[in-house]
Amino acid sequence: MTTRLDGPMKVTGQARYGTDHNVPGMLFGYVVLSTIAHGEVAAMDVAAAKSAPGVVAVYTPFEPLELHTPVSMLGSTWVPLQNTEVAYYGQPIGFVVAESFEQARDAAALVEVAYHELPALTSMAAGLATAEDAPPARDGSPPSLAVLAPDVESIEHALAASPVVVEAMYSTATQNHAAMEPHSAVAIWEGERLTVHSGNQAANLQAISLADALGVEHSAVRSVNPFVGGAFGGKGHTAVPAFLAAAAARELGRPVKAALTREQVFTATAGRPATVQRLAIGAERDGTLVALRHDSWSSTPMDRSFIEPTSHGTSREWYTTPNVAISQKMVPLNIPPTTFMRAPGEAPGSFALESAMDELAVALEMDPIELRMRNSSLAPPGKDLQWSSKHLDECYAAGAARFGWAQRTPTGRVEGDWLVGLGTATAMFPALRFPASVQVMLRDDGTAEVATSGADPGTGLLTVMALVGASSLDIAPERVTAQLGDSTLPAGGLSGGSTATASAGSAIMVAAPKVIDDLLALAAAPGAPFEGVEVSYADGHVLAADGRSLTFGEVLKATGRPSIAAIGSSAPGEELTKHSFSSFGAQFCEVRVHRWTREVRVSRMLGVFDAGRIINEQAARSQIIGGMIWGVSAALHEGLEIEGNGRLANGDLAGYLIPVNADIPEVDVQFVQYPDTLHNPLGARGLGEIGVVGMAAAVANAVHNATGTRVRHIPITIEDLLED
Amino acid sequence: MRRFELTAPDTVDAALAAPGTFLAGGTTLVDLMKLDVLTPEHVLDINALPLHGISTSDGLRIGALERMSDVAAHAGVYPMITRALLASASQQLRNMASIGGNLMQRTRCSYFRDVAMPCNRRDPGSGCPAIEGSNRMHAVLGTSDSCVATHASDLAVALVALDAQVRLVRTGGERTVALADFYRTPGDSPEVEHDLRPGELISEVLVPRLDWAARSTYVKVRDRQSYEFALCSAAVALDVVDSRIVDARVAVGGVATVPWRLPTVEAALRGAPVTQEAFEDAAAGAAEGARPLSHNGFKVPLLRRTVVRALLELTQEERA
Repeated sequence: MTTRLDGPMKVTGQARYGTDHNVPGMLFGYVVLSTIAHGEVAAMDVAAAKSAPGVVAVYTPFEPLELHTPVSMLGSTWVPLQNTEVAYYGQPIGFVVAESFEQARDAAALVEVAYHELPALTSMAAGLATAEDAPPARDGSPPSLAVLAPDVESIEHALAASPVVVEAMYSTATQNHAAMEPHSAVAIWEGERLTVHSGNQAANLQAISLADALGVEHSAVRSVNPFVGGAFGGKGHTAVPAFLAAAAARELGRPVKAALTREQVFTATAGRPATVQRLAIGAERDGTLVALRHDSWSSTPMDRSFIEPTSHGTSREWYTTPNVAISQKMVPLNIPPTTFMRAPGEAPGSFALESAMDELAVALEMDPIELRMRNSSLAPPGKDLQWSSKHLDECYAAGAARFGWAQRTPTGRVEGDWLVGLGTATAMFPALRFPASVQVMLRDDGTAEVATSGADPGTGLLTVMALVGASSLDIAPERVTAQLGDSTLPAGGLSGGSTATASAGSAIMVAAPKVIDDLLALAAAPGAPFEGVEVSYADGHVLAADGRSLTFGEVLKATGRPSIAAIGSSAPGEELTKHSFSSFGAQFCEVRVHRWTREVRVSRMLGVFDAGRIINEQAARSQIIGGMIWGVSAALHEGLEIEGNGRLANGDLAGYLIPVNADIPEVDVQFVQYPDTLHNPLGARGLGEIGVVGMAAAVANAVHNATGTRVRHIPITIEDLLED
Repeated sequence: MRRFELTAPDTVDAALAAPGTFLAGGTTLVDLMKLDVLTPEHVLDINALPLHGISTSDGLRIGALERMSDVAAHAGVYPMITRALLASASQQLRNMASIGGNLMQRTRCSYFRDVAMPCNRRDPGSGCPAIEGSNRMHAVLGTSDSCVATHASDLAVALVALDAQVRLVRTGGERTVALADFYRTPGDSPEVEHDLRPGELISEVLVPRLDWAARSTYVKVRDRQSYEFALCSAAVALDVVDSRIVDARVAVGGVATVPWRLPTVEAALRGAPVTQEAFEDAAAGAAEGARPLSHNGFKVPLLRRTVVRALLELTQEERA
């Protein structure tokens, strides 16, 4: 099996990330943040900062860098310093540029800010009563909708008529991606042209957003990020340091590097909203669902730019039920921006839905897997388009056998001082793809290259592209290199929505035959080795009808061409009118809760996934393992605590806990492989995000199994399980 | 980090003669300098001083510059010390952090660590946001109306249980202070954290011989399994003869403003049988005088339970 191609470069420090670029004459920028959550910057005294050693410039809303708000497929992106309004604690309000990072940081500490402070709204609980309707969902559907059986008046009637009903409120915490690489940029102007080295999920989108913000032609900006130190949705939008570095570099005529500190990342970027969710499920006594109601509230910053669509992401589609009603509201607060974070909607939504399903199983005295299988859907409720390829039952059956589910009792078991419980949950994530273009190039040395502008922020896309390129060109993987992370490459491979493999892979499968056709035409052209002969292509060779054959490298050499290339494009199309598409999975975990001190420790984890064809099992497993660990983290560790004044009480990695190695046991990942060529020619569906989905519920369900205590919020901590 | 002058004296006398802030492993000082919480103008790197050595010939003597990892690896150290050390920080930090520095580490209170916030400990008289704020990690014992910050050291909890002393050297003299007296509860002056006077340096930790502390342990309860500070911890040693407790040492951490000895629990254990019931009875008064805050009330039952758990873990064989 091919191992991760970029692995050796990363572990030996050869991979150059954004801030690894140092150029002569470079200046360093440091971002100044607000220390109130709501109000206006009345004045900023920058005299001391400007006269501090090494300081070259200090930018504020009163002496701003001119930036325009860019709008892309991800929506509009906020740019700093354009007015004096403060909408959250930790908002960028200044930028100090100096000869060294330390000088810029020291000078930033000397900036004195005066505010006109206004009362801040920071409490999700207090805001529920005045919540607003959310905007339409990404697919255009309204925030509230119901699918009811013909004779049913309302979801309340359907619930009232259900023999068994469970109903409860759930909540999930505000989170931050906390990617290893803080948001940063190195901006270099050469004449009218800008090059920016900055970790981001799509170099071409970042280049466009920077160009729009700076008011220059798109072609004037080149964004380069072959290596990205984690993104998870948090580097979809262009980050504040990139805007500021690019604009300051233009003003000052020198390259500028800017990076957020770890603490700044928690407020000066964007995170996952908090959610509150109310679930009501009605069922027949045999477990058949009668009605499902899922009402959701998401926190959102005051610009209402992003909400976490928990109902639409889960209950709208997951189970067969004659009656389903969902709603989505938002609670605008003076909190840092919110944005996509791994499985936005599905991750926190599945905590609520899959906890509620477990509660229903308990109420029915039914095995939770049996309950889920009984209500497995052929299509989303109320929709005619069936799932293209669904093997969730097989995931459950294989997982249950592998995990020893049959040994589970409804009340867990005791091992010494530890209460042991098993939990399970369903995972689903929509299979999407985006338009993508990829260039496939054949070289006269017998190697090939596949290239697109998108990013591999640790996902394995680089390896996947090389493998798909090799199979499409019918040559060994070692002969194929992949290029990513450069906006001058064909637009494609955006890392987002678990789409990159299906999108870029499909485009490779278009580009490769094109370049082979071009190669054959070249080989048979006048003056070429196979002039006038019928030729075909196999195994990296051009084969002539007369029995001769040459490698493509030999053909190129013979024709004096160093290389030939073709660009192939692929986009979703007609298949969307024929099927619904999703990846599926069954999550399992075992937890141990200490009888006395009530710590929860995860002791076993298993996920079995149906994500179509797996291109590279190592990269795929790593993606899923990471996602499942995210789920444990959400269940037991992660949560930003927002104080009354809007300050984050734990906005650093000392206070914002994520699991350490000791918290994570061996993570077992299995795939049932059914290539889904109804979705795309490659047959691969996304698996970047589905690993996190359902895991928090599986943990909470296992905690219930172990202790009998149902915790309906995450993270679950000791006090939730402690009696006096 | 602000500019500072760094010197590296190579004798104790030279170190004591020079004004400045002592730097050993740097795991607290450098951290707080980066946060602008500490802004020393002169830093004295004391790593060259001859304050090393671990002796177990009569009790235990640990040089102040011994690294946490080296002490933890030493076979002659009482189990509760070893376990407290191994439950601290991470291996990388333990390889750097010194014993003296461990005892001098500052609180992890997030308001103390954020110079944009008031803090009576950092800036006397400015106020304490923790009392009404985010105080889940804060203390329930030894608090005052001016400060509720938790003492962060695990090692100090074990040392207080063992009646350890610190030797403090100064130019022309030295004194020895019981560690339990060394630390100061905040009262009205939380900025005074200990009894180390200007010009003094911790040179050595002395632990009196206590053979029955061979039966001792340290239990640390926390939000993740490693690399996290205690919600509650307990250092416990038991002298058991014929299934009766002759003597006991109990101290707790994570719940108090200083390492917190529990003499009433110790007294209740003396003469008690080795049973869960006796342990629960003894631990019932562990949180006496506790003043829970808005988010840390759970520490009261957790404190009792942690003590019971530690006692049970220490007596598994007798109870089997």
